[in-house]
Amino acid sequence: MTTTSFTTRSPVAPGALGRTSRNPAAPWRHIDLVLIGCVGAASALGCLMIFSATRGRDPSDFDTSFLSKQLLFVAIGFGAMLITAFFDYRRYRELAPMAYGVVILLLLMVVTGLGSERKGSQAWFQLGPFQLQPSELAKIVVIVTIASVITHFNSQLDARRLGVVLAVAGVPMALIMLQPDLGTTLVFVAVAMGMLLIGGAQVRHIVALTIVGIIGVTVVLNSGMLETYQQCRLTSFLETQNRDCEERGSAYNLDQAKVAIGSGSLLGTGLFEGTQTRLDIVPEQHTDFIFTALGEELGFVGSATLLSLLSIIAWRIWRTAQLARDPLGTLICVGVLSMVVFQVFENIGMTMGIMPITGIPLPFMSYGGSSTLTAFIAMGLVLNVHMRRFS
Amino acid sequence: MNQDSPRIRMSVLGIVVFALFASLFARLWYLQVMNTDEYQVVAQSNRTREIPVEAPRGRILDRNGKVLVDNRISVQVTIDRTVLGELEDDERTDVLTRLADGLARSGVPTTVEQLETRVADQRYSPYVPVPVAGDVPEELKIWIDEHARDLPSVAADRVAVRRYPFGPLAAHVLGYTGKITKEEFDVLVEDTKPYTLNDEIGKAGIERVYEGDLRGQPGVTLLEVDTDGKTIREIPDGTTPPIPGDDVVLNLDIDVQAAAEQALQTSLVRASERPSNGYSAPNIGKVGSAVVLDPMSGGVVAMASAPTYSPADFVDGISDTEWSFLNDEANFYPLNNWALQGQYAPGSTFKPFTAWAALAAGLVTPETTVQDTGVFEVPNCAGDSCLFSNDRGKAYGRVDLRRSLTVSSDFYYYNLGARFWVEQDALGGPERFAELYRAWGFDAKTGIDLTGEQPGRIPSPEWLRSYCEQVHCNEGSNQWRTGNNVNMAIGQGDVLVTPLQLSAAYAAIANGGKVWEPHVAREIQDGVTHEVKRVIEPVERSTIEIAPEWRQAVIDGLVGVTTSEGGTAVGAFSGFPNDAFPVAAKTGTAQVNNKAPTAVFGAFGPAGAPAYSVSVLLEESGYGGSVAAPVARRLFDLLSGTVPLPQAPLGGQLGDIPELVGEGETVRD
Repeated sequence: MTTTSFTTRSPVAPGALGRTSRNPAAPWRHIDLVLIGCVGAASALGCLMIFSATRGRDPSDFDTSFLSKQLLFVAIGFGAMLITAFFDYRRYRELAPMAYGVVILLLLMVVTGLGSERKGSQAWFQLGPFQLQPSELAKIVVIVTIASVITHFNSQLDARRLGVVLAVAGVPMALIMLQPDLGTTLVFVAVAMGMLLIGGAQVRHIVALTIVGIIGVTVVLNSGMLETYQQCRLTSFLETQNRDCEERGSAYNLDQAKVAIGSGSLLGTGLFEGTQTRLDIVPEQHTDFIFTALGEELGFVGSATLLSLLSIIAWRIWRTAQLARDPLGTLICVGVLSMVVFQVFENIGMTMGIMPITGIPLPFMSYGGSSTLTAFIAMGLVLNVHMRRFS
Repeated sequence: MNQDSPRIRMSVLGIVVFALFASLFARLWYLQVMNTDEYQVVAQSNRTREIPVEAPRGRILDRNGKVLVDNRISVQVTIDRTVLGELEDDERTDVLTRLADGLARSGVPTTVEQLETRVADQRYSPYVPVPVAGDVPEELKIWIDEHARDLPSVAADRVAVRRYPFGPLAAHVLGYTGKITKEEFDVLVEDTKPYTLNDEIGKAGIERVYEGDLRGQPGVTLLEVDTDGKTIREIPDGTTPPIPGDDVVLNLDIDVQAAAEQALQTSLVRASERPSNGYSAPNIGKVGSAVVLDPMSGGVVAMASAPTYSPADFVDGISDTEWSFLNDEANFYPLNNWALQGQYAPGSTFKPFTAWAALAAGLVTPETTVQDTGVFEVPNCAGDSCLFSNDRGKAYGRVDLRRSLTVSSDFYYYNLGARFWVEQDALGGPERFAELYRAWGFDAKTGIDLTGEQPGRIPSPEWLRSYCEQVHCNEGSNQWRTGNNVNMAIGQGDVLVTPLQLSAAYAAIANGGKVWEPHVAREIQDGVTHEVKRVIEPVERSTIEIAPEWRQAVIDGLVGVTTSEGGTAVGAFSGFPNDAFPVAAKTGTAQVNNKAPTAVFGAFGPAGAPAYSVSVLLEESGYGGSVAAPVARRLFDLLSGTVPLPQAPLGGQLGDIPELVGEGETVRD
């Protein structure tokens, strides 16, 4: 191993020739272009499929309102991502308590009736023509907050400290559960588990939490705490015969989603040519079920391309978590990774019938302002950690 | 926690993430590559609806191309009682009021009360929508379709219905159509010409037997629909037009058919008005049949059955009262085709076959004579039941085979019947006598292309044994005796034949021994191009060996019936051009317990070159020579061209014939 090239090069004098341009540790030199490229490609694909799913059937008058809004969301998201990356992530640790407080307050307001009800769920603020979904932004805040709490404990998590971490995650989870929004609650579970694993929680605690979680899910499913529709959506993928559920259509959702994807075959029906997509046979297709439009119209080739993009994104985040110069950066990345991977697996998994149906958007693909913004901010955090790994 | 722990944990996380993505890829491969066929089928059916389009049913034509059955389009308005019953009272009234207004506007004045009455009419099956108006204008259908939301339970359907230009003529041959039943549907659901539960299907006659030809190939309109089932567009590629059914061309001549029905009906009416000739029971004169066959091919030229019905009554569904009328014994079952469903003792019309049996068995030659004393005494027998007499005891003196047929000497045949039993060891056993009759196609269905045919019966010792095993027989009647043979020889006792079998057997005498499978249809023509697609070839069921001198003797005797002094149908054929068109015939007067006799007549002509074989039978009507023979005479007048054959009237209204030659004459049989 030769190190001659490093030892023979004379250090550049500070301020000699444009300080930043000569500093190899400068953050802008380490922007993860692969990640940005993949995020951009996935978002573009998302906009295309949203247009296909929402443009309607009248060739003389296609509905472009969803497309133009989503383009706006993506633009705002890109901006937010860059802004998030611009300030050193270590400064976010100081902002975390305040942001956490604001988020809790917003969630409280939402569930106590100040929010607007949509689709049986109190989850939204109406802001002019847009709806703000505090539970989406809460994911980011909770990730940063947990990361700072764990680093504060120096990754020494005994039972008491573990309790603190769980409380940080548990309060917003409980509020979101009250909306009710089971899917987002589960995202928090995934985030917390991932961060505890990497943050140094003891193995026996993790095992215990897992057991408690399994028991909890079983109890919740059988206790009648959930509305029938929730229960149906959660269990319909098991393909058990449940008359109540068939009447309520969740089995229908799942069947039609599988049919749309399955009929796509290798190359798909062609963009804008999917009959299941065009005929509105799959409900909620531009949001939670956007993957079905992709599967039908662009087939295995298109779907696998998207899965590959998402895999690369996951790999870049995981890699950044390893490269991070401090545990805070690692933990933030792990939180984001847990969030993104869980959402991808749950969302695509449910459309293909291997996961229960819960309302979770597919990052970069599903139509929606809050979710798009959240996904981009999360990427901003990862870029931030990545580009400051030497500084 | 050791030093490596964070690295291991990051690896665990990486492996989990990798595994999750891997499973997504695997599932995607499974759905889109491995199982895509299954999902593509579902996707296809998700977006489309197949609407069957009924194809016009083929026509039925007579041998001269006259249309006996075709179609017309009728728009029928129906109300679904189940749907109507689920509506609130005021909604229900609204619907009926709107419908009544709509009907009135399009020229079918209807009140809400009339609709209510019709809907409440229990004659209609509760399981199908009640037709409330038939043959309404097309505009009304458009209006009803457009206002479907305001008119729940109401539908206007375009239905092709059968049209019968000749009304009730040939009803039993043509048959009728009706809604497919659940049972029929279950059998035919996989047919190459698929049925829906609303389809019409042939129920009887040609309509039923040639259902597969007459039925068109239904078309399909493929519609793309959304999740609410609303039509988005028609898919041109998936739409196939209906193909009209094939036409069936019959051997039937509708003009001859009309003449046969008219003559039969006239003779029945006249018979019912006459006192019976010396028999205790009165003439009924309601049920009868007449069959005209082509003896050279077995083609059915005419087949009349009385009483008759109008197949048009079945169009748009037959009401329960009409249906019960048609199935009431008091009305003599008008739907039955008595020409092949009625089984009768043939009486003396059976004698030619007894004669052939005796010739074939070598019992007699044409020249053998017998001294007919008027009363035949069964050999080796004592008592009253051993005596069999001629009609009214008339003695014919010395008769040979020819004469025995001409004057209808029972004595001559009693003797043959008795000898078949007494000399059975030399003649081939106790069953031989029956087998010789069966050779003519008796005791078996002829295989005609019509529905409901009965086989008739030729009794024998073997038959009697199995019959008495199933049914209790009195001591004395459970054993075959000489008397059974004696009775059978003159077509009495337990012998039963159908008029169709009789005419087919006479056709076999006429053509030299070929027993045909009679057939009504001659060929199948393409419904559009009229090209002949299939010819229904004559089928020979069996051939009988008839030596020329035997045949000549039998034919001489039969021609004598209509021409010679003492012939039993001479009166009915008086004035007929016998030289130009000699008719070989035999009368029959079959006695039935406590009833007026069955009048029977079997004939063919011209004797030298037979062109027509005719059988006529009238139940409970009197003598064959005075009731059945005049019907045949009328037909031979027309068939020989002696009297011009009138065209069958459109609509099928037939008046009575003023006078049938020979009707009601006092004759002997």
